[in-house]
Formats: sequence, structure tokens, C-alpha cells
Amino acid sequence: MDAELLPSHPAVYRSPVVPLARPGPPAIHAERVEVRYRNKLVWRDATFDIQPGEFVAVIGPNGAGKTTLFRMLLGLHWPSSGMLSVLGAPPHRGNYRIGYVPQRHTLDEDTHLECDKLVRLAYPGTRWGPGKRWRPLQWGPRFHPRAEREAAAQALEDVGASELGSRSLSALSGGELQRIFLAEALVGNPDMLLLDEPLSNLDLRRSRELVETIHGLVRSRGVTTLLVAHDINPMIKCLNKVIYIANGKVAVGTPDEVLTTERLSSLYGVHVEVLRDSRGNIVIVGGEDERGEEGA
Amino acid sequence: MSGGWSGIPWSWNIVTDVRLLWSFEFMRNALEAGTIIGILAGIIGYFVVLRRSAFASHALGHTGFSGAAAAVLVGAQPVYGLLIFTMVTASGMAVLGKRASSRDVTIGTMLAFALALGLLFLSLYNGYAQEAYSILFGEVLGISSSEVALTFWSSIGVLAVLVLIYRPLLFSSLDEDVAEAKGLPLTLLNLAFLVLLAVAISFAVQIIGVLLIFALMVTPAAIAVRLTSRSLSAVVVSVLVAVTGVWGGLFVSLWTNYPPSFFIVAIIFFEYACVRGIDALRATALVEAVEAPEREGVRSLRNASLAASVSQVLFVGGAAVLVLSLLSYPAATWSSPPLSGHMLWAFVALASAAILATASSLLYFSGFRKMATSSREFITPAFLTLVGLLGIGFTVGGLGLYLTGVDLASSAYGLAPVAEVFGAPLVLLGVIFAVVGFAGQAVGSWRMGLRYQDGALRAGAILMILPLVGYGVSFFGYRRALAQGRTPAPLGAAE
Repeated sequence: MDAELLPSHPAVYRSPVVPLARPGPPAIHAERVEVRYRNKLVWRDATFDIQPGEFVAVIGPNGAGKTTLFRMLLGLHWPSSGMLSVLGAPPHRGNYRIGYVPQRHTLDEDTHLECDKLVRLAYPGTRWGPGKRWRPLQWGPRFHPRAEREAAAQALEDVGASELGSRSLSALSGGELQRIFLAEALVGNPDMLLLDEPLSNLDLRRSRELVETIHGLVRSRGVTTLLVAHDINPMIKCLNKVIYIANGKVAVGTPDEVLTTERLSSLYGVHVEVLRDSRGNIVIVGGEDERGEEGA
Repeated sequence: MSGGWSGIPWSWNIVTDVRLLWSFEFMRNALEAGTIIGILAGIIGYFVVLRRSAFASHALGHTGFSGAAAAVLVGAQPVYGLLIFTMVTASGMAVLGKRASSRDVTIGTMLAFALALGLLFLSLYNGYAQEAYSILFGEVLGISSSEVALTFWSSIGVLAVLVLIYRPLLFSSLDEDVAEAKGLPLTLLNLAFLVLLAVAISFAVQIIGVLLIFALMVTPAAIAVRLTSRSLSAVVVSVLVAVTGVWGGLFVSLWTNYPPSFFIVAIIFFEYACVRGIDALRATALVEAVEAPEREGVRSLRNASLAASVSQVLFVGGAAVLVLSLLSYPAATWSSPPLSGHMLWAFVALASAAILATASSLLYFSGFRKMATSSREFITPAFLTLVGLLGIGFTVGGLGLYLTGVDLASSAYGLAPVAEVFGAPLVLLGVIFAVVGFAGQAVGSWRMGLRYQDGALRAGAILMILPLVGYGVSFFGYRRALAQGRTPAPLGAAE
């Protein structure tokens, strides 16, 4: 991994070690976490650590509890038992150190508003009152409108969407929109990114481009990133870890550890075949059909 | 003053007409209330559109009907019933319909119940026809001074709260899930917004009635967001559409004996139809062919070029007609107001030219500004265009001062010296600035035309010579008239 990083990314030269090896508490620490949704068990007995600066894919069948994991990390849902800590503290709502791109979005093709405005509104503090200097109520860190504007411009640049800033949200394609959402999540300079199915509506080429952008962010900003996806193949080469959620259980490890016939078969409780082609692409056969009716 | 009003005898002289209207107290009240409501509706409407709360605003208006009916039943002023009913319904909507996706059903259910209550109250009240009619369709000409004052202070209150909460409100409208994760109080924000909307609607109902509330609360903002994607500009446009709609509707209705509500809605609807039509025509081949970063700039400049050309033709035509009629007028007729016949059309053309020139300059400015981010040669045209905008403002303002100023001497305002001293110099300064601005636009357009090998943009640059012709015609025509002793006295002085 290191050898691959060094030539391309200047940020790496500045720090003597790759972000993976940063000292301090793990970005996510889960110990025997059990989660219920409306009194129904979603998954249980999850014990894992995610280190700062890791790029993690969260995969598993629909309804397995991937979004629930995100909601727990954001402090919107509580584990029914076990211990969970995020960035060294218990999860809490309004944590400005986490950038979040949800699966659902309120805005649509009738939202005639400049992209830049959306990104700026997301600047932490969720400021009240008019612009400029008067800010009677303010949450999160202190800031200045100029800092907000610059942070928005920087976030847009980092996701390769500077030229979209003055375009209307209503006029963007799916891929462009995902970049804006990514900038929106990034504008507060978070330590962790939670991306819920950012690739779901993109074709393969756009998926790969977006994954490259995200991977670039993980490396240059050292931001811990969890990404929910259906297809792991566009990002298989960049991942540090995989969180596989299925059948009420959670398996965590490097892709090579988790995505094996033995591991997934024991996770699902039925025989699952993991096939690899010559270019490292993975196909998982069997699991999803078998568990479909059982519920999580 | 409803129903029996039979139009005012009006002339082609707009100045005397306006003065006549202003002399009626009910008309002053109506205009004041209409302006306040137009501003309020334009601003709140922007949030209604972005939050997709159009159905909520429609339903709140209808709920207000029951409130007004209840108030009439107990002998209170309808507006208090409106306020109570709409605010209670708004709170119910906010508490029950937390998510945008589930709101419609909640709102519809509450709407049906509220209307049923309204029906009950009406059947309990005897002389209901006239009252019901005025609540349903508005009675702008029946507004009293105390109601205007109440409208004014409530609007100030609503706007103050809106200023305080607009950022989190806007953000939660755009991205509900992220706003929730960021710890924004979604239900509280929604409640606050719906209550503000309820207050705004309660007062707007006086103007336009519960059935037509949509035209004032939603359509202006819907027009605005199609014209601009910047939030501040959109709010400004939305307010302008609402206010001019109310004014236009009031004026026209007084001269025609038909209800103002109809004309207000008709004007706003017409504007909406125009905007949709322009939207459909706007995607030109050139704009689509250009790469993304410069596309916005090219689009602005293309539109600017079109608007500027029309404006210039109107300017030259208007100036020519004006000068010709000036020269053909017998000197004696200047003692009566000269705004008639060709003269009137010349003034209409010139006024339209000024409005279009302002619009095109704004478009030019935005185009140059966007181009300047990728290429520095557009910084100067952008700056000169701003100077030109100032020039157009000075010219129009100076002419206005000159034409109306002397008359004001006889009024209580005592502005005459100011007008006489500053009117003409202001026009001169305005002309100089405007010419500088047109030069900047011509240079910028030409550079743009070269950059994209676009004939239309280059033609637009050459057409910039036309304003000079217009100014020349006006100047020499005025000199000629002066020499023949045919110069018009400032309008009001004639009386």
C-alpha cells in the first residue's frame, strides 16, 4: 500500500507515516454491540476497531442494517447493548467531526439553487441569523463568513467540482450531484466520512471516478471513510477494511480476510461461494438468495 | 367599497392618474397593504417553493376561511379568526407531518376538517353571502388604516424571525437527513416556518382571498427560481413580481370595474407563462456546446445580447418618435399635459428600453464576471458594465426629478430646488456613465465573439453603437426644439 501511495500524493511526504499508523484511539471502537430497530434484532455481537484514516466498505444485502450502523455512529440511533465509541467519544447527534452523505436526498430537479450555496450552508456551526458579521446564535466552532466561503471553495476543489459551484443543483447529473454532496459533507473538515450508497445511481465509469476522488480524499486529508455499497469491485483495490453485515452478524477485516468462501458461509450459515476473476474482481454467489426470506 | 365601484375616469396622462388614485384613502390603504403583503409573500414564498410547502400554503389559506367565518359568527374581526385558525392548523401540520414525504396526507386531512368547520359556521351565520365572498376572493379596497398598521407590524415580526432562522431553515429544506445528523431541530424549524407562513397567509387573504392565495404566496417565487439560482436574487425577483402584480392589479381594476384579485392573479400568471416559455427557448446550441466552466458565462452573455438589442431598438425608436412629436407640436399645447398619442408610446418605449437595458446590463455583468474567473480580459468589461448600470440609474432618476420636480414646489415636500439643481446634471452624468458602460459591453461582447467565433455576440457588440445614435437624436432634437421655443416645461408646471 505504502509504495503505491508515495509517488502520487504530496500530502504523504509531509507526514513521516501514512495516516493508517496515526497514534491515538481508534476512529470507531465497537464492543459486543447489539442493535434493535423497533424491537426487532438487526444485528448483534459486533466487535471491531476502525483505525483513523482507513477506507472501509460496508456491504451486505438490503435491510441488513448498514444504514442503521451509520445512524448509530451519527447518534441518531442507540445500541441496545454493548459499547460504541466514535472518534474517542460516545456517538452524539450534531457531531461536526463527521461528514455524512445520506442515501435519500430532499432536493430534486426543481431545486433551483447554486451548488455553492448548499455547500456553504453545510459549513459547521449551522449558523443562524443573516450573513456577514451578525451571528447571534451559533453552534460548533467559531468562524468567519470568509472562512466559510474559502472552505466551500476548497471542498468543491477537493472533489473536483470547482466549476460546478455556480451551477444550479437542478441542472446536475447524478455523478455531479454526488460530488456536490461529498463537498457538502467535507466542508467542515471532518475526521470521518459516512457515505451511504454514493455509487448507487452511477454507471461503472462514474463509479470508478468517484471512488478515485474519495480515495484521494482519504489519503490527502487522512479522513476515515465508511462507504456503503452494493458492488465492492469498483473500490476493491483501495480498501483497508470491509464491514460485511448479513444475517444479523457483522464480519470485519481486510477484504482478503472477509471475502472468502469460508468466512461468508459461516456468516450466512449456508454455503456461499466467493469467486475471483483474473483481475481481482469478486462475485459472491448464493448468500443473498438464501437469506432473503429469513429477515435480519 | 366592493361591487358597486364603477371605474375612475382616467386619461392617458399616467402622472395625473396616479395622483388621482392617491387622493382616495381606500386606495392608499390598499396600495400600502398590497405592497407590504407583496414583499412578505415574495420572501416567504421563496422558502415555500424550496421546501415544497406549496400544498401547505394552499391548505392554510383554506383553513383561514373557517377561522374568518368563526370570527364573523362571534362578531370579531375576520383577521383574528384567520390568525388563530391558521396558526393552530400550522402547528398541527408541523407536529403530525414530520417528514416531507408524509406531509401531504396529513395536510389534506386537516384541510378537509377545517373546511367542514367553515361550512358549519357559515350555516350558523345568517347574512353570509357577502362576507363569505370577500373572504374567498379578498377585499383589498375595503382595508382600513388600522388594518394596514396591523399588517405592517406583523410583517416586520415575521421577517425578523425569518432573518434569524433562514440558514438552518434553508439547509433543512435542502438536505433533511444531513440537517438531522447535524443536530438541527427539524420539527421546531418546521413549526416555526409554518407558523410564520400562517401569519403571512392570514394577512395576504385580505388582499387576494383564500381561494387565490396560491398566486401570491407561491407563483412569484416559482417565477424567481426559474430566472436565477442565487438565493438573494431569487428573493428580490420574487418580491418584485408579487409587488408589481398587486400594484398592476389594483390600477387596472380601478379603471375597468372588475375585481382586483382577478387582475393580480392574471398578471402573475402571465409572467409565469412568459418565464416558462423563455425557459423552453433558452437552451441554445452554442450554450450546450461550450465546456462547463464557461457555459454559464456564455449563457448570460447570449441572453444579455438579446435583451440589449431589443432595448437599443426601443431606445432609438422611442427617442426618434419623441423628438419628432416634440418638433411637430404647436408651442401652445405644452400648457396641457403632453402625454398623449405618439408621445405616450414614445415614453412607453423609452421606459421599456430603460428596464431592458438594466436587465441586459445585469446579465452582461454576470456573464463577464463568470468569464473573468477563467480569463482576465473580462474584468474591465465587467467593471465598465457596472458603471453603465449606474449611468442608467442616474439618467432615469435625473429625468424623473426634472419632470416631476417643479410641481413638487407647490406641494408640501418642498423638493423643487433639489430637483432643479440636480435633475439636469444628473441626466448628463448618467448619459456619460451609460456610454462608458455600453463601450465596456461592446468590448466584452466583441472579445467573447472572437473567443467562440460567434456571430451573434459580435453583432451584439456592433449594435452597441445604437445607444449613441439614440442619445445623439435626443440631444440634437432637444437643441432644435429649444431653438424653436418648443421645449416642454417640466410636466407638473403646466397646471
